[in-house]
Amino acid sequence: MRAAIRIALMSIRLVMRTKAALFFTFLFPLIFLFAYAGIFAHGNPAAVVYMFGPLVTLNIMGSGFWGLGTQSVMQRERGSLRRYRLAPIGSGSMVMSSLLANYLLGLPTVALLVACAMVFFHMPLQIDLLTLLALVTAGTFAFAGFGLTIASIANTMQEAQIYNNVIWFTLLFLSGVTVPLPMLPHWIQRFAAFLPATYLVTSFQAIMVGGESLSQHWLEMLVLVVSGTFGLLLAWKLFRWEKEEKISRRAKLLAIAFVVPFLLMGTWINVHRNLVAWAETYSLLGRTVSSGDQRAAPAEGILLDDFEDPQESEALLQHWQVLTEGGAAALSVGELDLILPGAAGTAHALRFHGRVAPDHGHVAARYTFALSFAGKDVRGLEVEVRGDSRLYQLKVTPPTAASAPISASFIPDSDWQTIRLPASALANPSATANATASCLLEIVVDGAPGEFHIDLDELRLY
Amino acid sequence: MLIASALALRYHNQPHMANNSHPVVVQVEDLHKQYEGIRALCGVTFEIHQGEVFGLLGPNGAGKTTTIEILEGLRRPDSGRVTVCGMDPAREKAALKERIGAQLQATVLHDKIRVEEALELFASFYREPASVGMLLERFGLVEKRRSFFEKLSGGQKQRLALALALVNNPELVLLDEPTVGLDAQVRRDIYALIEQFRAEGRTTLLTTHYIEEAERLCDRVAIIDRGQVIALGTPRELVEASGKGTRLELRLAKPVALDRLRQLEAVTDCREAEGIYYLHAQPPAQAVAALVRLLEAEDNVLVDLHMSQPTLEDVFVEMTGRKME
Repeated sequence: MRAAIRIALMSIRLVMRTKAALFFTFLFPLIFLFAYAGIFAHGNPAAVVYMFGPLVTLNIMGSGFWGLGTQSVMQRERGSLRRYRLAPIGSGSMVMSSLLANYLLGLPTVALLVACAMVFFHMPLQIDLLTLLALVTAGTFAFAGFGLTIASIANTMQEAQIYNNVIWFTLLFLSGVTVPLPMLPHWIQRFAAFLPATYLVTSFQAIMVGGESLSQHWLEMLVLVVSGTFGLLLAWKLFRWEKEEKISRRAKLLAIAFVVPFLLMGTWINVHRNLVAWAETYSLLGRTVSSGDQRAAPAEGILLDDFEDPQESEALLQHWQVLTEGGAAALSVGELDLILPGAAGTAHALRFHGRVAPDHGHVAARYTFALSFAGKDVRGLEVEVRGDSRLYQLKVTPPTAASAPISASFIPDSDWQTIRLPASALANPSATANATASCLLEIVVDGAPGEFHIDLDELRLY
Repeated sequence: MLIASALALRYHNQPHMANNSHPVVVQVEDLHKQYEGIRALCGVTFEIHQGEVFGLLGPNGAGKTTTIEILEGLRRPDSGRVTVCGMDPAREKAALKERIGAQLQATVLHDKIRVEEALELFASFYREPASVGMLLERFGLVEKRRSFFEKLSGGQKQRLALALALVNNPELVLLDEPTVGLDAQVRRDIYALIEQFRAEGRTTLLTTHYIEEAERLCDRVAIIDRGQVIALGTPRELVEASGKGTRLELRLAKPVALDRLRQLEAVTDCREAEGIYYLHAQPPAQAVAALVRLLEAEDNVLVDLHMSQPTLEDVFVEMTGRKME
């Protein structure tokens, strides 16, 4: 172990002297922070909180795959492991030193991300440091296991890059690291349950956004640690000092052991856990904003509809319509009614209710609104909702043709809550300052067939 | 300028030449090794005594590196018996590594590691490391102690590799082609360092395909070719045993029949290539006198004559029919 520590400390020292390594270790994650927080989250502190977990996961994944994994293969190909082989140290020391160096280099990077997110984007740190450390440690361990396993089974650098790219891009796009899970189709969410990055991302988000505790995510942490341990043992067992040493196909099969925890965990999530829990976290963004971002208090927004107009019934017909899949022949039905009372003591609210038929699962209520943008600082749209605890989607189509629709999934419960959808495209129309443009808002009913009802009130831009 | 060191050894420390009465440090018996069906070693047998500088001389691909890597414990033989410092390299790797020092044919370190750091790092792996300061001084690396590995010249890298081989103050030093690719001056520096190893009483095994190196440095040499030891002894013994005597290179004004030259007194062998006649003779003086008489009789003229002592190269050529490359 002493040798492992010495090699790890030397590796860290060498990273500090290598410009490319410094860039990818410290500067690259900051570029991603500014991209995530500045561009995707539009500087909204609540959205930054939501994206912080994916950001840290991305960083941990990068150091595991492209740092640890490829470095190990590169050292072997370069022949720099041979000199160590002559010393009285074993392959265990080499593997441990890689893991240790990776971890010790990762911690300051996370600290830097936290500091920059708090200073530049006013992110409220809704996680205690010990919990953050535990998440980072478990994640680092798991992805180091990934990197080391790939380095163990790849015979050449080229082979390692193929493995890395396939796994990297799968994790990057399908586990909530770049695209929030609730925005992905359901079948992809089911697949995401098998991916380790999903466990880290969703644990981060549930704790930082949903206010849950680490103990509620002990299973995810356990799976990450167990898989990391498998990876470490595999790397130790299959460690090669020389590039001439090739691994047998039989030994490659051992790598399957590494994915066993993910297969078990994914199956368990799909069978026992409701995937909509991820959407629930996403839906909490609105509530988080209410408490965390005073600048965005609902009262300061631009009211689109509070359903209090005496002529509301006519307005409903004018601005709202129900869409069902398959047109008139569709078996799914939806209706819009005004109900009493509304949210926060108001008189009225809008109820959207009906039934989703099997195989005709798409029902939506569409609202068309015209908006003047003169002098308005619009960052998104929010609405008060309550409902039947099934999955809905809030979708906004901005006025400009170039802007793609923006959507978010949420699960309303029996209490009124604010759902917020960051949509900067609403603030940047191509029209001139006094022009108006038409936007579309849809409440889409997702999920299983059956009855549904959702109440809406206080629809406004913030 | 390389500075001799007073590096303390923890074992027998009497400078001496090869002496079979000294304990055996390396014992190799009937070693066999194949790589994917290609025979690398076939019945290699030799032993090295304490304090000896032993050379494995042979062309590239002869099996020298495979032999040395088996002794280092980096490879397992297919069959045969190997004992190094009384230990089996395949089974007692960790204990053996404490007692041997090795220099690889090419030592690659991280580009950004400093000379001193490399020595300190590798010294830290051993129970009884040598003093890093003393190694820097001894191998002429004091001025380069803060230099990155990538900034070192080929000779400096090789000196660092030798210093790393001595970082645990070993009793047996294994050097794999220590001067390959280096210029003449740097080679001489390395020779001086290896001669110091002998002066300190260390046992040294070096592989080389340079004849000059083996003749100058080695107490005994095993000539190895195609995985087999084809000759073993001191350089002098090997040359004398070849029995070909002094070599004469002749240029003549007119061609002469090779048979006439072969029949000359004291000539043991004769061949011709590109107009030059190569004769081996013992004793050479009688052969020269007979040659002069022959040329007078045939009205021929001696244009040029070179005489040289036979070398290990000649021994190799004699035994294999090929030049060492």
